[in-house]
Amino acid sequence: MRNKYFCYTLLLLFVIGCKDDKYTVPVPKDALQNDCIKRTLGPNLAGSNIEFAYAMALPASKGKIVSAQVEASIAGAAATYLENKSYYTNGSGVDVGVPIGDPSVNEAAFTRVTFTKDTNAVTLRYYYSIPQEARGKSVKFTFSVKSSNGESVSYAMGPYVISKMDMVLDLPVKNADSCFISIADMAVYNAADAAAKADKIDLVYLYRSIPNISFGHALVSPGADPVYLPDVVLPPNANRVTKVSKVWNLRDFNLARLQYGIYIDDLDFQQLDISNAPGYAVNFKAEAGAWVETTDGKYRAYIYINKADNAKKSAVISMKRYTLK
Amino acid sequence: MKTYFKIIIVLLLTALGCTKDVPVDEDGLLVTSRAECYVSNFELLGVDFQTVRTKNAVIDTVACTINVVVFYGTDLKNLYPQFTLVTDAKLDPKITGKVDFSDLANPRSYTVISGNRKVRKTYKILITVQS
Repeated sequence: MRNKYFCYTLLLLFVIGCKDDKYTVPVPKDALQNDCIKRTLGPNLAGSNIEFAYAMALPASKGKIVSAQVEASIAGAAATYLENKSYYTNGSGVDVGVPIGDPSVNEAAFTRVTFTKDTNAVTLRYYYSIPQEARGKSVKFTFSVKSSNGESVSYAMGPYVISKMDMVLDLPVKNADSCFISIADMAVYNAADAAAKADKIDLVYLYRSIPNISFGHALVSPGADPVYLPDVVLPPNANRVTKVSKVWNLRDFNLARLQYGIYIDDLDFQQLDISNAPGYAVNFKAEAGAWVETTDGKYRAYIYINKADNAKKSAVISMKRYTLK
Repeated sequence: MKTYFKIIIVLLLTALGCTKDVPVDEDGLLVTSRAECYVSNFELLGVDFQTVRTKNAVIDTVACTINVVVFYGTDLKNLYPQFTLVTDAKLDPKITGKVDFSDLANPRSYTVISGNRKVRKTYKILITVQS
């Protein structure tokens, strides 16, 4: 008898457990609301943008949006702006902007848009141009919106750490011409310019096609074994031994600008250990790269090969650099 | 109540019936009856995890040598060797990370131990740099 009751209870529990709650249409809030997302991924590099999408809305019966503003804890560079257009995608897949107000105005840490169109709901893009003085610091944002009925709401975003890294893109290098690379200057020099900056030359780019040897495109430090610098005339006193460690499949998004969502961040440079690496690396191919550490231990860098042209004996490189000292 | 006791006893017997004394070595690996002991394939990767071999390694299972020709400019101090062994065999010393092969005069040796852990063969890795 007891078993029988037990079975009935179990059956009842199953039936109750499987029952679905009835769906009800959510009731919108009867007030001004806002929401925000950060659209950019990866490290926040000085000189580049952090992009946000700030959405705001209120019921038509309550009034209209009057103004929207963003306050950054560190004032953005002059290129910072809050979009004054609301975008929709047309049938051809093109984003079409509809102006809702005047172009934004930057006042110290504030970026403001005053609405001129009767608007109840809109999503505005905010582009924070990271200033050089924010390097290594954290930045926070307060997005806020005001409506004609006196309501005001705000949304806090961050803090976001601004990277200490520097970045330079698309430096053309050519064998026996612009082939002297300086990590300190993040630049490439020809022989004439390199002679005046011999103490800053960290690497030499060269291309060699040697029978029975896979040499190809190479990055060799001036102080490396001369066998890896065949027929290279170095500037006098260029003798730095830069550590070079070859990498494959590290197509950093910022450097490569390809479809791979991989980002080199400050932490990668902090944890990098190439103390045992040689002063040269040969046989580079396009989309390869190399971790580099300067002889004085002041800089660590990642050099990415965007293009490599065997016929022209040239390449295009991009670099991310982290200052250690 | 009696039924419960019966179920527990059956479960206990089943559990005991499943335990078996299996021979394992100090690494917790199964010791089998296989006496075969050789390297069937050898790979050498650079720091970029790409092969540094110019062609297939030549494995001599009688002389116990592995001859590898590597690309010019290979960083011999930082290489990752990879061995493929016969079934159930294991390698000593274990490869835990980068290995320094730069001392070409004193080639590195690795011992293959058979599945029954009774046969040991020491292979020498002979590296030649492309020139």
